[in-house]
Amino acid sequence: MQRIVFASGKGGTGKTTLTALTARLLADTGERLALADCDVEAANLPIALRAEVVSSEPFTGGSKAVIDAGACRGCGACASACRFDALGPSEGYYRTRTYEVDPWACEGCAACVSACPYGAITMVESQAGEVMAAESGPGPMVFGRLAPGEDLSGKLVTEVRRRADGIAGERGIERMLIDGPPGVGCPAIAAITGTDLVVGVTEPTLSGEHDLMRLVTLARRFKISVAVVLNKADLSERGAQRLRERIASEGLELIGEIPYDPAVAVMPERLARGELTAYPEGPGMDAIRGVVASLAGRRGVTG
Amino acid sequence: MPLIGRLTVAVASGKGGTGKTLVATNLAVAAARSGSPVALVDCDADAPNDALFLAPEAPQVSAVDVPLPVVDEGACTLCGACRAQCAYGAIRILGGKVMVFPEMCHNCGACVKVCRPGALREEPRRVGEVEWGRVSGGFAGPAGIDVITGRLDIGEVKTPTVIRAARKRAEVLGRSLTVLDSPPGVACAAVAAMRGADVLVLVTEPTPFGLHDLELAVDLGREMDIPLGIVVNRDTGASSEVDTYAAREGIPVLARIPFDRRVAEVYASGGLVIDEHPDGAHWFDELWGAVRALAGEEA
Repeated sequence: MQRIVFASGKGGTGKTTLTALTARLLADTGERLALADCDVEAANLPIALRAEVVSSEPFTGGSKAVIDAGACRGCGACASACRFDALGPSEGYYRTRTYEVDPWACEGCAACVSACPYGAITMVESQAGEVMAAESGPGPMVFGRLAPGEDLSGKLVTEVRRRADGIAGERGIERMLIDGPPGVGCPAIAAITGTDLVVGVTEPTLSGEHDLMRLVTLARRFKISVAVVLNKADLSERGAQRLRERIASEGLELIGEIPYDPAVAVMPERLARGELTAYPEGPGMDAIRGVVASLAGRRGVTG
Repeated sequence: MPLIGRLTVAVASGKGGTGKTLVATNLAVAAARSGSPVALVDCDADAPNDALFLAPEAPQVSAVDVPLPVVDEGACTLCGACRAQCAYGAIRILGGKVMVFPEMCHNCGACVKVCRPGALREEPRRVGEVEWGRVSGGFAGPAGIDVITGRLDIGEVKTPTVIRAARKRAEVLGRSLTVLDSPPGVACAAVAAMRGADVLVLVTEPTPFGLHDLELAVDLGREMDIPLGIVVNRDTGASSEVDTYAAREGIPVLARIPFDRRVAEVYASGGLVIDEHPDGAHWFDELWGAVRALAGEEA
């Protein structure tokens, strides 16, 4: 199976729009696709493709420290053992003489459990999110929803990818489109690992260029080739020119420039509302068709 | 009027690319011009861009290290206590050797504490850097802005650690206003950036995607118990589902930045909208006033 991941470094460059339209246009030719939304902190692909959830599974993995106030003597040994500043005297310590856990700071290492001389601390497993399997027009989709503040986004992305691989395998689907998260950290690494192509969606802004280059460095580290799409290309002629030169000097492949086109800009919104009956033909749509044709023609299989 | 006392404002959003950097940088400038010394902390350590816009002079850099366990194989008895203690599966015993996997390790130190033969020690491992420099006079006014950037090394995963290091640098400076430009999302990195803020400014766009991700960010902000308000970016003037949502939830709209190609063009070239757009000063002065009101400063 071929896996193509849309990524950008910077957020809001058009990853989801391009993923959704690529899926739609490929599906129009009769191809069945598997889809994975790996932005588990803000999954928008299911909205753009009006996916219907068919099943959801809890995602667990982490745990947090809980102090039994009855057993705690307030000695503070737990706080000395904690590197995350997650333990401290409770409000009203001078009355209660107990310590408490800040669940936002606790990373679940359990160093406090062995440090507590009174056995007052236990680890309690917390639900870190959900994995959803859904059906959409272009094909089955898997996406995740991370519980607010959890530190397992990379693991949840890996779980989304594993489930999507499973469904694609069962149905004999040969191509997967992955909508990646912003950034280059833990979830981005989990989203691009083991893919065949990173489509770097960027815009001709200083930030767009800066963040694209961070993504390119990351992809090279994983030996994955990068194809660049310059979105909102006519927003700044100077910025676009600078990016083109950078892309050329870095030996990257530029597979399309999409001009800023209000009809294209509102397309994801219209898709989401189910209002898109016909593609808004024009320069923006032409450019997108060009990008999709370039992607459709690629073969590259990692099994 | 300069601030009395200290204020920490986090600028965040669920969705990426809604305009956090635009809002954080221009808000910092508006506040500095009103006479309050500002520390602007770029907490989007995966994709930090604030310094591109504010260009501090002669920035200094220091590395962000984490303590990584290292095994002294001569002393190790392969008892497995470290592996049993590790909550992250970062320690394995393979081929008669204890192996530590740096990208899974949370650097909690728990393994070192349980190692009876004393075969584990910790050594610093670099995961990123903090860069800081100052702009004062000129566009930043005499109060000035310290720009502090957390930057994750490519291939590393300790985004929250780098964010905390950048914030610590800002604390040392002790400026009256701290603006935290947060990473997108609602995971640990966003929490590391927002934790302890007095006010949360959530930047959104009036689309179904913007609303969906705004709701997630509002949930997080409320769970963290931070007073919050919304900036509607790329506002079309028409009432949207974001307005309906804000009204229903009783969330104040602190400012609206219209859907205007000129805003995008200024941003694209690395300019400051507060100076280069005719309405820029108005938008961000108003936002700064609304943020102060939300912080309950007058009370």
